[in-house]
Amino acid sequence: MSIEVKDLSFRYGKIVALDGVTMRLGEGAVGLLGPNGAGKSTLLRILLGFLVPERGEGRVLDYDIRREQAMIRRSVGYMPESDCFVAGMDAVTFTAYFGELSGMPRQEAMKRAHEVLFYVGLGESRYRLLDTYSAGMKQRLKLAQALVHDPKILFLDEPTSNLDPTGRAEVLELIRDISAHKSVQVLLSSHILDDIEALCETVVILNKGKLAAEGRMADLRAINYSLYELRIKGDVDAFRKDLESSGSRVDEMEDGLVKVYMVEAADPMDIFRAAGRTGAQLRYFVKSRTSLEDLFAGVVGVD
Amino acid sequence: MATVREKGYTHWDGKLGERRFPWWPIARTGILLAFRKKRFKFIFAGAFIPSIVFLVGLYISERLEDFKAIIQGSDRLLNIDPKYFATYLASDWLLFLIVLVLAYGAGGLIADDLKHNSLQLYFSRPLGKKDYLAGKMSVVAFFVLILTALPGLLLIVFKLVFAGSFKFFLQYPWLPLSVLGYSALLTVFFAFYVLLLSALSKNSRYVFILIFGAYIFSNVLFGILHEIFETPYMALFSVPANLQQAGAFVFGQKLPHAFPAVWSFAVLAGICGLSAVVLNRKIRSVEVIK
Repeated sequence: MSIEVKDLSFRYGKIVALDGVTMRLGEGAVGLLGPNGAGKSTLLRILLGFLVPERGEGRVLDYDIRREQAMIRRSVGYMPESDCFVAGMDAVTFTAYFGELSGMPRQEAMKRAHEVLFYVGLGESRYRLLDTYSAGMKQRLKLAQALVHDPKILFLDEPTSNLDPTGRAEVLELIRDISAHKSVQVLLSSHILDDIEALCETVVILNKGKLAAEGRMADLRAINYSLYELRIKGDVDAFRKDLESSGSRVDEMEDGLVKVYMVEAADPMDIFRAAGRTGAQLRYFVKSRTSLEDLFAGVVGVD
Repeated sequence: MATVREKGYTHWDGKLGERRFPWWPIARTGILLAFRKKRFKFIFAGAFIPSIVFLVGLYISERLEDFKAIIQGSDRLLNIDPKYFATYLASDWLLFLIVLVLAYGAGGLIADDLKHNSLQLYFSRPLGKKDYLAGKMSVVAFFVLILTALPGLLLIVFKLVFAGSFKFFLQYPWLPLSVLGYSALLTVFFAFYVLLLSALSKNSRYVFILIFGAYIFSNVLFGILHEIFETPYMALFSVPANLQQAGAFVFGQKLPHAFPAVWSFAVLAGICGLSAVVLNRKIRSVEVIK
């Protein structure tokens, strides 16, 4: 296991940020999902060793998060969400600088900086001042500095923010290449569900500081609930209340589509029974493949 | 923008080492970045004018007969003793030039990192807060020492060379230590002073104004309060006056202000202490992920 935490808890004063989170993450790309305030950033802070957990323990690449923070930071590449650079530097100096700060010899860091800048597509502009870089170029640069010391794990915080569709697709392709073929594990924190769905085999969903769901995407889709898509003519509110009273979740989309999330043990015939009881006509009924968005909505309870 | 993946990702086959001085890349890069500013190069070169003037003074002092026509009775100014060195190192103009060099070359040391959110990049490396601050302070130390200790010691060497004997050194064997001691005091003070002000704003231009403003305003305040209260203790409000008082003490000279030098040391230490508290609060690794 590359990341393992047990009963991890942390609070900012009276606000509980993490509450008894236990999880084990293996190889490959892992998506970290959750609404604002769910505890994603706090979890990253603790894993990087910036915060000491109030309770619980954890290991990153078998290094203790309480005692071996320097070793963790040496083995982890971190790509922050916000724009960050050092004014007055060009890309190659900047990347080499952070390679050196990670413990690389100066000459090696410079050589490696050229390599990773070519890899992320900044080879031609590597001698340009960073102050003149566009938002998309800065995003790639952050990825380059995270890769320069050849980390075993990459922590990527919103890696596709500020990117146009083409740039986003290219960066996602880079991350896919790194995680799939280069034996670098990726922990991807993002609010763009499509990104997570495109890249990650495993997902961790946090909600209100607690672990809401964790596991392989395919397993989570299958295990947690079944999703049915309906079109109804009649009293939708009464139909909704009837189904919700039996433990299902019902969401009405803007286009009139009704999504019913039923717990795995529930009988799909309950939908027809509810329609019969409330006098609603079912005009369309299909069992849908759950997307990550559906999973997220089902687990966290937000659209 | 170039196509992504002009070159495939390859693993680095080296081994990451543990640096003995993790702050060294920060120090080296800070110094190099300062010299990339065109205006700074001129200011830095200009800051050596006082040392050249004092070097010429040393030369003339050994050739008084040759320069009799130029000196015309002002040869008492060229009496080379510890006061000559104290005058150089604690002079208003050298202190002003040091402040100017630091405002241009080191004002953005922390301000730029705060502005561009780069603290999170530093602290995601195996670096502690102490390493980060040591690296930044080393940049200030480099500029202060190169303008104080280096010329101060070279002036002593040139004095011996021009005189052709060790008589001066034997007469004042403690002088090199005084030069080093006062240079160290200036270094420590200015390191805390500049980093304190650099951490107070994200705009390096405001920091430039703060560094100059605090230095000059403190002296103006001293002048005003001295006129009102007519007590020498008002000099404690002035940064340059405290540095000069401490300098006179280190070189064993008559104190410029009529109060014990320990008060000036206490004020300077207080500013350093305040700086340490502010830096500890502003440079926080827990704020690195937003």
